[in-house]
Amino acid sequence: MTTVWITDLGNRFSVLREMLRNLVSKPSTICYPFEKVPVPEGFRGRVEYIDENCIGCGRCSRVCPADAIVMVEGPREMEVKGKKLMRKKKPEVAIFRCIRCGLCEEHCPQDPKAIRLTCEFSGAGEDREVVVG
Amino acid sequence: MDPFFLLLYVLVFPGFLFLAAYALFLAYLDRKVGARMQHRVGPPLLQPLADFVKVLGKEVIDPRGVDRPAFDAAPLLALAAVMTAFLYVPVIGPSPVAFQGDLVLVLYLLTLPTVALFLVGWLSRIVYSTVGGVRAVTQLFIYEVPFFLALLAPAIAAGTWSISGITALQAGHPWFALLQPIGFVVALVGLQAKLERTPFDIPEAETEIVAGPWTELTGRRLALMILANEMSLVVGAGLVAALFLGGPSVPAWVPAGPVAALAGFALFLVKTIAILLVLASVKVMTGRIRIDQLNDVGWKYLANAALLQVALVLFMGFWGVGT
Amino acid sequence: MVEITVPIGPQHPALKEPVNFKVFAEGETVVRLELDVSYNHRGIEKAAEQRDFIRVVPLLERVCGICSHSHGTAFVKGIEEIMGVEVSPRAQYIRTIVAELERMHSHLLWLGVAAHEIGFNTLFMWTWRDREVVQDILEELTGNRVNYGMNEIGGVRRDIPPAQVKKTLSLLPGLDERLVKYREMVRRQETMILRFRGVGKITKAQALSYGTVGPTARASGVDYDVRKDDPYIAYREIPWNVVTSNDGDVYGRTVVRIGELAESLGIVRSCLEGLPDGPVTVDAPKKAPTGEILSRYEAPRGELCHYIRTNGTDKVDRLDIRTPTLANWTSVAVCLVGQNIADIPVIVAAIDPCLSCTSRMAVVDTEGRARPCLSCTSRMTVVRGEDGEA
Repeated sequence: MTTVWITDLGNRFSVLREMLRNLVSKPSTICYPFEKVPVPEGFRGRVEYIDENCIGCGRCSRVCPADAIVMVEGPREMEVKGKKLMRKKKPEVAIFRCIRCGLCEEHCPQDPKAIRLTCEFSGAGEDREVVVG
Repeated sequence: MDPFFLLLYVLVFPGFLFLAAYALFLAYLDRKVGARMQHRVGPPLLQPLADFVKVLGKEVIDPRGVDRPAFDAAPLLALAAVMTAFLYVPVIGPSPVAFQGDLVLVLYLLTLPTVALFLVGWLSRIVYSTVGGVRAVTQLFIYEVPFFLALLAPAIAAGTWSISGITALQAGHPWFALLQPIGFVVALVGLQAKLERTPFDIPEAETEIVAGPWTELTGRRLALMILANEMSLVVGAGLVAALFLGGPSVPAWVPAGPVAALAGFALFLVKTIAILLVLASVKVMTGRIRIDQLNDVGWKYLANAALLQVALVLFMGFWGVGT
Repeated sequence: MVEITVPIGPQHPALKEPVNFKVFAEGETVVRLELDVSYNHRGIEKAAEQRDFIRVVPLLERVCGICSHSHGTAFVKGIEEIMGVEVSPRAQYIRTIVAELERMHSHLLWLGVAAHEIGFNTLFMWTWRDREVVQDILEELTGNRVNYGMNEIGGVRRDIPPAQVKKTLSLLPGLDERLVKYREMVRRQETMILRFRGVGKITKAQALSYGTVGPTARASGVDYDVRKDDPYIAYREIPWNVVTSNDGDVYGRTVVRIGELAESLGIVRSCLEGLPDGPVTVDAPKKAPTGEILSRYEAPRGELCHYIRTNGTDKVDRLDIRTPTLANWTSVAVCLVGQNIADIPVIVAAIDPCLSCTSRMAVVDTEGRARPCLSCTSRMTVVRGEDGEA
């Protein structure tokens, strides 16, 4: 009977015990930006455009849900499957309209991809209209 | 006492300047300990000072139709009351301005910040503040009776109405916290309610009435009111330490003079910080209760416990035991 | 006594999203309530009619941040059924895993918010710290902490490699321990018991007549869970139980949600251990045949309905979203009358309101009256205590 009462008392003070335990252990806060935040490999971060791979098909621009990708003038000589062709347009991504869904990367027909999401999660900037590409 | 030293005592140490510095320090300790218990980092040491300076510089906004002189005066009233009360709390030894009955004076002065808060709430002309002000005064009625009674018990047992006298008595005498444990617990609970900290932060219930009476306080008014709040923590803790834990009184074998004063001061710091740690733990451990539930708890348990304690003291005094 | 108006919102520390409650109180008791939920209206249903099936899925995921996967999956499975596309079992299991992880993070968030509403900030900090574990798992599996982007018509966009399966399974026992602790805490912590028990009680009959759904209804004893009554994705194949309670008050809802947390953890574990092989996506046609469908889904807050009508093109003809919070508002309005002002945030938080999902338009009549007055569309309720009309 006494043991039941004592364990019950122990349960009643479980909040207090955890509080005291927390007092002597390291806080669970990550002191960003002094400490680095661990970012996993498949993280959908900032958009990156690789000019050498792009053939100007325009699929990324058509599939973007946020209308963040616009095709602009961008002639470049490309070699696709052994044949030389002249690319006419290239995409321009408005970084602050991008919702990082990754559809552009998924629908890009090239391998390696011409447009992809990096692992860079920090996206602050000063210019609202800044573009990549 | 030499007027120059008296002025130094009142204004610098252990008077107003020390009070302000210690209030900011205890505010830091309260927040840091609370944060660490919640597994967070907590603020750096100078954070309460930085907050004070920042809020002091903010724009003062007057709600439409507010009575500006009264609205300006209320935080000053609270601050003045708390600072005056601190003069009678023994810090390094008996207070130089102590007199018979200063316990009653201190208790009276400590109710003034709550009345000032109610005034601020009433003058703000906004429903959140009015509800909060009414809650503050209701809470005052509920906890004042047990709190006063619990602090009365050591006075009866010691046979003196002076705080410094009660403290001096505990130099060679077991602490009243040990002799009157019920009263000690009731005093701590009453202190938590007086300072309006969780579980009794009903007037300031953030998620219910925005900030209660604090809603329309801005700029220097808010800074002074916050400072008054932090100072009442020091005064309250100092008062409970003086009445129940012996305050700064040192045993008889310590040589009188500067050594005794230093030792007394160290004891004062240790005891008030211990009381703060208890109050901070209670704050972190509980949620807020409703005003009607406080009414229940206050009258059913607190008031009866305090009455019981006073009755016990009278009873034992009658039979000549303990004094 | 004098009747005072306490405006709760549109901006208020108790609310995470803007909503306007005008509470009319006498002293500390609530007598009447007027409600306006139009502040977060963004016209998503209209925008969805202008996007083809690839571009509309990310839009629908952003109806709400906390139940993002719910909206996406409800829509996608409805379209797949109209098109007659059979999704692979592996994709179904992956959708279930993300759905249950979302339920877990939503309920942990709710537990913290409920504790914050009663001033118990310690539990708030602790539950949100444990929620970080779930968020990190989601970040590994899907690439983002909210708005997971897992769904597409025909399956899911990402696979879960075996290494991630193992890592996730290893993180689950720690969460299990914490849940046991929280269950004990809710049962024994005095202030939580004082503030939660007996507050906001709805009987089973009331719950059924006002159309409450989700944990709010299950706490009143209504045994209705779309995952059991109309199973979808992998719920038919995994063993799990519906959690109900007979208390009907905020305490009952807390108990139900903690029980659901434990069940979700079990479902995630079963799915990860029994993940079938196969492709994660199948080809789906670009256009959908003409048809209409009501797609139901058990979101963390209750039953979510997407009514979809297609007309043979590659866009929807009409999409109508009925979120669980919209169904639960009536119960809030009803059980608030007669309670204390201090109980308002607790009762509102107990249905786990998500205003982003709920917002409907309000019609404002600013002319011809002494003060501007809001009259809302048919879904709004103006509840009067004495007259009894609702």
